[in-house]
Amino acid sequence: MYQSKSHADNATIFCRDENRVDWHSKALWNLREKRDRAAASVPEWEQLRQLGSEIKLHTLSHLGDYLCQFEQKCIENGIQVHWAKDASEHNQIALNILTTHSVKKLVKSKSMLTEECHLNPFLEKHGIEVIDTDLGERIIQLNNQPPSHIVVPAIHMKKEEVGELFHQKLNTPKGESDPTRLTRAARKHLRDQFLSADAAMTGVNMAIADLGAVVVCTNEGNADMGANLPKLQIHSMGIDKIVPDADSAMVLLRMLARNAIGQPITTYSSFYRGSKVDGEMHIIIVDNGRTDIMQDNILAESLKCIRCGGCLNTCPVYRRSGGFSYNYTIPGPIGIAVGAQHDDSNTIPWACTLCGSCSYVCPTKVPLDKIIAHHRRLKAEQGKLPFGKKFYMPAVGKLMSSPTLLNCTMSSARLALKVIPHTLIKPLSGAWGHYRELPVAPKSSFDTWYKHHKAANKETK
Amino acid sequence: MSQNTTSKQAILAALGHSSINQLNQKPDLSGLKSTRFLQTDLIKRFEKGLNSVTGELIYPDNGNSIDILKGNVAQLISQGMQVISLVDGIEGNQLMPTQPHDLKHIDYAIIQARFAVAENGAIWVDSEQLNGKNVNTHRVLPFICENLVIVLNKDNIIATMHDAPAKMHLHAGDFGTFIAGPSKTADIEQALVVGAHGAFSLKVYLV
Amino acid sequence: MNMKIALFIPCLVNQMMPDVAIATLSLLEKLGHEVIFPEGQTCCGQPMTNSGCFNEARNTTLKLLNAFKGVECDAIVCPAASCLVAAKENFHEFDQSQAAQDVIDKLYELTEFLHDIAPIPAFKYKFEHTISLQMSCHGLRMLNLATPSESMGPQFNKVEAVLQNIPGIKIVYPAPRDECCGFGGTFAVDEGAVSAKMGKDKAHAHAATHAQYVVGFDPSCLLHLDGMIRRQLLPIQTRHIAQIIDAAL
Repeated sequence: MYQSKSHADNATIFCRDENRVDWHSKALWNLREKRDRAAASVPEWEQLRQLGSEIKLHTLSHLGDYLCQFEQKCIENGIQVHWAKDASEHNQIALNILTTHSVKKLVKSKSMLTEECHLNPFLEKHGIEVIDTDLGERIIQLNNQPPSHIVVPAIHMKKEEVGELFHQKLNTPKGESDPTRLTRAARKHLRDQFLSADAAMTGVNMAIADLGAVVVCTNEGNADMGANLPKLQIHSMGIDKIVPDADSAMVLLRMLARNAIGQPITTYSSFYRGSKVDGEMHIIIVDNGRTDIMQDNILAESLKCIRCGGCLNTCPVYRRSGGFSYNYTIPGPIGIAVGAQHDDSNTIPWACTLCGSCSYVCPTKVPLDKIIAHHRRLKAEQGKLPFGKKFYMPAVGKLMSSPTLLNCTMSSARLALKVIPHTLIKPLSGAWGHYRELPVAPKSSFDTWYKHHKAANKETK
Repeated sequence: MSQNTTSKQAILAALGHSSINQLNQKPDLSGLKSTRFLQTDLIKRFEKGLNSVTGELIYPDNGNSIDILKGNVAQLISQGMQVISLVDGIEGNQLMPTQPHDLKHIDYAIIQARFAVAENGAIWVDSEQLNGKNVNTHRVLPFICENLVIVLNKDNIIATMHDAPAKMHLHAGDFGTFIAGPSKTADIEQALVVGAHGAFSLKVYLV
Repeated sequence: MNMKIALFIPCLVNQMMPDVAIATLSLLEKLGHEVIFPEGQTCCGQPMTNSGCFNEARNTTLKLLNAFKGVECDAIVCPAASCLVAAKENFHEFDQSQAAQDVIDKLYELTEFLHDIAPIPAFKYKFEHTISLQMSCHGLRMLNLATPSESMGPQFNKVEAVLQNIPGIKIVYPAPRDECCGFGGTFAVDEGAVSAKMGKDKAHAHAATHAQYVVGFDPSCLLHLDGMIRRQLLPIQTRHIAQIIDAAL
């Protein structure tokens, strides 16, 4: 992992291996292209996005009511509901439930919330063995890494690297890198874990208020295999996962997998409205900063996110800087949107060209580029600007607002570009000249030209 | 007041300071529901959807797929496969065990679907189907079996997911799931591998 | 319909790409419009506001706005999409008066103006070259000059619509079609490595079309690509859309 917390520093290191950057970027762009085809196959796609946005906005603006309704319905269904203000309370609740049932081994399916809460190390510290069961999650867990992507967590690893890891941890033959054979080995290994687990934990894709049910989506079947074997099942959800009813859930379900990986729907989309016979079902509802986000009406829209990962796949910066460069659990545009306030390097809001592609990809129309721009403003207001901006921006502001000053500066700059050999300017011109040729200097500025041009026109007339 | 109640109150109180416009209306979704397609068209669309998620449809021209299924089951059993059936009229060679873990050896599970969705090939199965003729079956069956076989009535295909809520029987305490093809993963370099944790194959017999 | 047009020439164009401004002036005059160039134009404030520094942007934005307030004209036309978007947003941010709104209502990006307001009746000269269009982000996704590739909504492309009537012109696109070139203002310096990689990929994508020119509506992206194309020694050159149109009129 990286020493620095600065996105720019880490991205510079990532970019040193250009072949790897190209490989990483192409793998993710491939998902974007699959998404485009899947979205294009639904004639009402843009209508669904609009409705998805409206459903989420409506729910967020009545969130207290919907959370209470959800809890009430869950209780009627025999589900035990817990509330957690923050990550540590969430972790403690989970630990209490597990220790009450003397759980030694917990199987987990993918949950960005438990990543956000750093649940695994907490439970391990208390003697509970935690097994991530999504293949990608298991790979990075064995590799001692956090996810580098919210949907394809091991996207940063090449199959040869997975092969070597499995050779060391799962005794696969040395040099084996065939994805099918590696997946088979993981299946066998994880079956044993499922069959010997004392409890299962999953994330939640949607929580349906009027049913008191949670929806869990996977392609591998690991959430359902996990939740339906042991007696105890726990589901952790952020308060933003609520939708009013099943009709609303369908709108989001139609877009989730299409936008994530170009599949018409996840292989398994399971609705849990109560525990299995003789079982026990718990839901932990977590805030952990979400109500803070909701106090800013621009940032609040980031809570419309359904975690499809589409914005990561399209982001030209994410694809070329990797998931570990963001100084937050969630990388990419949505990671900046929900994580910038936790970023003590104060650089991630600037890991973005404001190109806006993410906002157009987003199935619930989260205005990601506007949120990221807003984070920059918030950082500036807090005096937390990176890259020396605090010092040079006032000077730039002054220079730019004065036509005379700007003209003087720029005409000497143009002169410099013309008369000083470029080899001498390059070291002085920083990042621009390091990677690109400097601009060819024009003879004069337009306004100077225009004055001469007008004077000459008058004379001829 | 318990810690938990305090946290609930704290979260609800914090939501009171939300700056989101309280006037955001719930959108009208009724326009999305549809019955625009003829049955033959729905079957074609469903087959396309199912194939796109690597599932297979068995629906011969003579329409006698239940006999084909019976023949196939007999053959599987003769090959020494462990077959469990929750479908009336189809006999497997395994009984429902007491412990769900004991389903780990099942090679083929045959279950009844309530309905299927044409646009994406997803098939809805809920607690009632999973119970079938058994009073106390295990939810894990369609996930733990090596291969999954689903029997679907051709009258029970809907166009899109928007028509699903009206057909999903999800009573208090129930479980239900959309199954779209066999389990799969692409977590190693985006290479699609069928058979992740759940079934290696999904066959749907349309009756 | 002949109009009175005020030119909005952003500082980057004024200082570094005067040929783009000259071509804009020339083509509008050839189309029969009366063109004026109000004095006292400053930066739109984008370098500062995009860095979150709104206080530092206020002065320059308001000076630019003042340069247009009360100027008698039918439209204010700018040959730089990104600056135009920033001007619109920043004018509104710092001045909510009716006089400011009157200026904002008259602001048009050049392509937008030639498509929506005063279409070109006919071209005079051929332009027998292949051009690879640089669909820059802010023009695309904030000014709606064309449907971005992410969108499944109605498909339109104002840039192509304006250019395609030039006799002999052939329009192609790089792959991916509308990915950001990586300029991003101060991003080019703050995130030098990623910006350069994006620019390099974009420059190569344009060159791979075998077009003679990369043509765009956003001078800052063209400046970035030009620096990259020359560093990479690629056989393609950048041109602004105004230069192509002016040459064909």
